[in-house]
Amino acid sequence: MLEGIISLIIVIFISPLFAGMINKYKAIFTGRIGAPVFQPYYELIRLIKKETINASSSSFVSKIAPIIIFLSMIFVSSIIPVGFLKPLISFNGDIILFAYILGLARFLQILSAMDIGSSFEGMGAAREATFALFAEPIFFFSIGSIAFISGHTSMYEIFNSILLNNIGYEIFIIVCSISVFILAITECSRMPVDDPNTHLELTMIHEVMILDNSGFDLFLYQFSSYIKLTIYALIEISFFYPFGKQNHFLGILIFIVGFLTLSITLALVETITSRYKMKLIPQYLLFATSIGILNLLIYTFMK
Amino acid sequence: MNILEIANNQSFSIDELKLLSKEEFYSEFYNILKNNNRLISILPIDRSKPNVLSAFFLNNEEGNIKILLGDFPELIFNSFANEFPHTNYFECELSEEYGYEIKNHPWLRPVRKQNRIFGNKDYNFFKIDGEEIHEVAVGPIHAGVIEPGHFRFQCHGENVYNLEINLGYQHRGVEKLILKSNSISNKRILLTESIAGDTVIGHVNAHTNLIESLSGTRLNLRIQAIRGIASEIERISMHLAGLGGISNDIGFALPASSYGRLRTLSINSLAELSGSRFGRGLFTYGGVNFDFNDKIINTITKNLLVIQNDIKFINDYFFTSVGALSRLEETGIVKKEFAQEIGMVGLAARASGLNEDIRINFPYGIYQFSPISLLTLSSGDVFARARLRALEIDESIKFVYEQLENLPEGDFKLNINELKKYSGAVSITEGWRGEIVHIAFTDADGKLIQYKIKDPSFNNWYGLSLALRNTPISDFPLCNKSFDLSYSGHDL
Repeated sequence: MLEGIISLIIVIFISPLFAGMINKYKAIFTGRIGAPVFQPYYELIRLIKKETINASSSSFVSKIAPIIIFLSMIFVSSIIPVGFLKPLISFNGDIILFAYILGLARFLQILSAMDIGSSFEGMGAAREATFALFAEPIFFFSIGSIAFISGHTSMYEIFNSILLNNIGYEIFIIVCSISVFILAITECSRMPVDDPNTHLELTMIHEVMILDNSGFDLFLYQFSSYIKLTIYALIEISFFYPFGKQNHFLGILIFIVGFLTLSITLALVETITSRYKMKLIPQYLLFATSIGILNLLIYTFMK
Repeated sequence: MNILEIANNQSFSIDELKLLSKEEFYSEFYNILKNNNRLISILPIDRSKPNVLSAFFLNNEEGNIKILLGDFPELIFNSFANEFPHTNYFECELSEEYGYEIKNHPWLRPVRKQNRIFGNKDYNFFKIDGEEIHEVAVGPIHAGVIEPGHFRFQCHGENVYNLEINLGYQHRGVEKLILKSNSISNKRILLTESIAGDTVIGHVNAHTNLIESLSGTRLNLRIQAIRGIASEIERISMHLAGLGGISNDIGFALPASSYGRLRTLSINSLAELSGSRFGRGLFTYGGVNFDFNDKIINTITKNLLVIQNDIKFINDYFFTSVGALSRLEETGIVKKEFAQEIGMVGLAARASGLNEDIRINFPYGIYQFSPISLLTLSSGDVFARARLRALEIDESIKFVYEQLENLPEGDFKLNINELKKYSGAVSITEGWRGEIVHIAFTDADGKLIQYKIKDPSFNNWYGLSLALRNTPISDFPLCNKSFDLSYSGHDL
């Protein structure tokens, strides 16, 4: 129980730092100094102080959506294991809960975007719904195959039970981290699927859906997206936990190194790639899906 | 002679123009357009007397400007836009500015007013009906830092069927203000410098050339060289900014910041000469305010050398990146026929394969003595407009080097004579965006009675609408940036 609370606190409080690190690295790679790594914290503090204004055309959906989205992110972070700490919520089959709580958050996000009635937000909602359709199989093929490998269906159990006696697992990690990486990029609206830094409403996906929000609502949305990014980073890192099983210290090291490597990788990808054409994004996601299917094949060979 | 033919920057007496009757005017107008001439302006020669109309045409092959003068006592003008689409916007402007009734006009729309057309009628935006059609209205307030403009998209899903652009939010009445400050004073220079903040040199060059030709002042080579260098540096800076903007809009961070870095070097070069990074205060009637010395020449040469070296690597990286190419190629295509029909000018027209370059077709200033090469591409997409920028940067750097090496001797500021009486003149320059036309007429006292400015944006906004047809709406910002048109230049 205590372990679970500690890991939840870690996830929530470290998440803005992760976003800040990506931005910092990105700035360094493009030859700038960049904002301090703690900038996302300052932004959140600034937002929470501001007045919340709702569009006059919006209904109660816009009011409850940010809170529910934020709470679902908290809930999801209490399923994901940090290091070898046992998460707050862990039972057989929680990967399904994990996926669909995230689904619920997305559903409310789309609903609240359409609720405002602006044509921009409607476009953003349509795009989000379309691309989510392609993103879901990636999750189930990737996480599903690791569930098969371990024989467990709980996030904590999966990573805690894998033994490194099979060479197939190393191959599996390489393949699976690619598909989960693409999934993370899509779900967290990073480049090359969506540009989090763009100012162009017509090209946005995630950002355009929160265009009309302000103050506390925007704070919740921003915080939720930071937590979401961290959650996917944690999934990616979790693949490497089995290597540190013998040693608790090694586990922490893997966590820190994984975090640093991931932020550098994300920043690097965002620096050297340009955004894809909107109509090419489904192809990109199908590519990740096929890698996910490859994971299942690896599992069958491992047996 | 019904038609007066003059060269760029050549003044003429209004008496040389024959006042034609309506019918003669129409038939000459029709013949001129039929012979591949392009209308650049149609306006009364006296702002307070709208009934005497003059029309100006360019002919790229012959390199001359044709002028017609006609009497229209009833303020009714028969539209030519059905046969020659490029005249349509000029006719809209004529109707809006001087109260002309345009007969048979296919699509009379407001130019600088938001929703009023002739006769104070409401203007209805173009609309497509259908269950699955949705309308997206953008602006006029922009979320970022650029100027205000209203865009209406008729979309089917992500695809744009029609884009209508409504401008005029930046209207300041520059033409009227220039007429009001009716003396050879610094004020008019300040006004023309602020027509479009990104084309300071282009506009002020056209204005000073115009006033100098109206007053019969001849400039020496040194002044012309300095002016040429300044306008080429402006071209380099703005093309770098454009390339940076294009790469920023596709989220390509590395080239975006690299082009941005080089742009700083380029605008700093201009600051070295004039003290202003945009070249404000450099031009004056009869010359320039600042002269080159060895130190300035050294700094500028050094800066340009860095740009020349570094841009090779960045261009290589940017124009060979698969991601960038997939975004740029075959996006926002304007075919050559369409570009010609709607009378596109400048960079965008050259990217569609038209030979539209005032520096070559109607040489002025230093370009009469040191020609610059014509660069065109044929595909007319965002890629062509980006690539052409890169090519023109190289060409301009070479040109500036040449000029700096053989800078002629001479005074950098000459005295200017009084304006000629009852005359007119046309001055056209090639700004980085395209042709900039300034037209002026004086009365019997030598006072300005008409001043007309045409920014290249006036022609090219319609090109942007065409580029967006059947293009995903998410590519609009990219197409917009590749044209990089001016709102204030259009709105005046």
